[in-house]
Amino acid sequence: MNAHKEVITSIILALFGISYLIYNSVYPLGTLANPGPAVFPLVVGLLTVILIAWQLFQKGIQLKFKGEKAKREPIRFSEALKKEQKPFLMVVILIIYLVAVSWIGFLTSTFLLVVISSKLMGARDWVRPVGLGFGVMLFCYFLFEVWLKLSLPTGFLI
Amino acid sequence: MANAGILRALLISLQPTNLLGCFIGVVVGTLVGVLPGLGPAAAMALVLPMTFRLGPTAGLIMLAGIYYGAMYGGSTTSILVNVPGEPASVVTCLEGYRMARRGRAGAALAVAAIGSFVAGTLSVVALQFFAPVLAHAALAFGPAEYFALTVLGVVVLSILTGKSHTKSLFMMAIGLMLSTVGMDPLGGVGRFTFGFTSAQGGLSFIAITAGLFGVAEVLSLMAEGDNRVEMVEVKFRELYPNRDEFKRSLPPMLRGGVLGFLVGLIPGPAATIASFVSYGVERRFSKFKEEFGKGAIEGVAGPESANNAAVGGAMVPLLSLGLPFTPATAVLLGGMLLHGVTPGPLLLRDHPEIFWGVIGSFYVGNMMLLILNLPLVGIFASILKVPSKYLMPSVLVLCILGAYGDNTNLFDVWVMLGAGVVGYLMRKSDYEPAPLVVGLVLGPVMERSLRQTLIISQGEIGGLWESTISIILLLGALVAAVMSIVLPYFRNRESLR
Repeated sequence: MNAHKEVITSIILALFGISYLIYNSVYPLGTLANPGPAVFPLVVGLLTVILIAWQLFQKGIQLKFKGEKAKREPIRFSEALKKEQKPFLMVVILIIYLVAVSWIGFLTSTFLLVVISSKLMGARDWVRPVGLGFGVMLFCYFLFEVWLKLSLPTGFLI
Repeated sequence: MANAGILRALLISLQPTNLLGCFIGVVVGTLVGVLPGLGPAAAMALVLPMTFRLGPTAGLIMLAGIYYGAMYGGSTTSILVNVPGEPASVVTCLEGYRMARRGRAGAALAVAAIGSFVAGTLSVVALQFFAPVLAHAALAFGPAEYFALTVLGVVVLSILTGKSHTKSLFMMAIGLMLSTVGMDPLGGVGRFTFGFTSAQGGLSFIAITAGLFGVAEVLSLMAEGDNRVEMVEVKFRELYPNRDEFKRSLPPMLRGGVLGFLVGLIPGPAATIASFVSYGVERRFSKFKEEFGKGAIEGVAGPESANNAAVGGAMVPLLSLGLPFTPATAVLLGGMLLHGVTPGPLLLRDHPEIFWGVIGSFYVGNMMLLILNLPLVGIFASILKVPSKYLMPSVLVLCILGAYGDNTNLFDVWVMLGAGVVGYLMRKSDYEPAPLVVGLVLGPVMERSLRQTLIISQGEIGGLWESTISIILLLGALVAAVMSIVLPYFRNRESLR
């Protein structure tokens, strides 16, 4: 990973750390003799922010020395985007799946998830993904409903 | 005492349910070891719901079986296809695959299995002696010592994991941050729950593990595409090393066993480090140095023995101190807590059947693995032939089931998805998920012991380093942390000039 990307990642992490510290301020700190729930998050949050500052400092030095070289490296956005297309679609499918679970039911939506994700991963036919979907659906049913006696979410279907 | 312990351990582990748990564990572990990407920690997290049905002893035996079973399985693909199933088997590719190319795949597989069995058994014997002694000594540990120990564990683990110490420390810190979600361990105040009642009990450890390892693996594979592998064929009658090969393998197996166990005691990715250290030792001291890199059997026997022995070593701090220093032992701890079992110095007193049952299962499991792995090696390896377009959707559903089964709520599945996306992005940015998982588990122990120490010492910070044990542990952590940050900085500056 190049230094520019490292800096961007560090900034995102820094924002996470700072937000965490800000949100932590709503909890009582207590006293040293009776520390409150905010003490440990404060220590950990500060540690994280210090580490990120250190990382940024290191990368800043790297960029200073390697600045010219970094500028010459071409970034192929179209290639990178193409590579990320499938994972991105998978995440979208998983979000739709999670919304659909409580609406149409766990077993049916899991069946659909398996078929769609299998197709997305390159399955050319329909028979094997559908067969796999049924197999997985049966496995889920027997594992949860029959063996573990735990109920799966149901909707207007199963 | 020790003999009675061995007998008791064996009697517990030979009970039918425990035997079944052990069998399922070693089979699943071997399959997981064969599959690259999905490591033992993720697999253990995915099957956690099943442990409810098996009960605590058999359930934990099953989880432990997955852990050491994965070490066996990892060697199969390293030798046959030059693809390490899990990081601890990376080094086996160096010599094992070359042996396979020379037509000695069967011998390499047999030596890996026998070495794993010998070293695994050695490490269990050591575990059996060390764990109770350490557990007894740990009774003298107060909150300050526990705090110091967790600090040392956190620092050493971040130094030994991943390419960058700073990044590993980040991940550990983020794990600690995530551990603060939910009720605080002393006062019962709900923190960082953002109004979600499901988050009151904290973020599901299983959901996060399944996301970081399982979902992230599926997403990574989708980005990379399906890489099919070519496998070296191996016949059953070839599964015997010749006399010379066996003679050459025995000392590395024993050395690897001792070395692996000792490395396993240190926080960090013990099995991986143990295999690399063992390879280095064998390469240095072998009488056949010229064969290294061309298929030296010592390079298979030593590392494969070491990574299995490391599993036994890593169990010592978990069983005797209640502190997991690897992601897999962290999942095992999660499993224990789910069953209301608290590992640590009192485990032997309060739950002897679990303590001895898990230890005994190592003997039985190692035997099962030896019997299973030699004749069925081809079957296990053939899982690699299943295209990812059929395998990965099943892994995805297993992740969902694991996350949902923890508390039977969909909130955890959302957490899993979030962790999966973050895990995928982390992989792309060279951030290791292992320290985050350990941080998540160690967080509550660390927070509780820190706050208890401050309360006991009436606000005196010095209470944290009042005892000699605490001073030694904290100094160790400080030296390790400073060295890990300062040394790369100076090295960087040197290289840039």
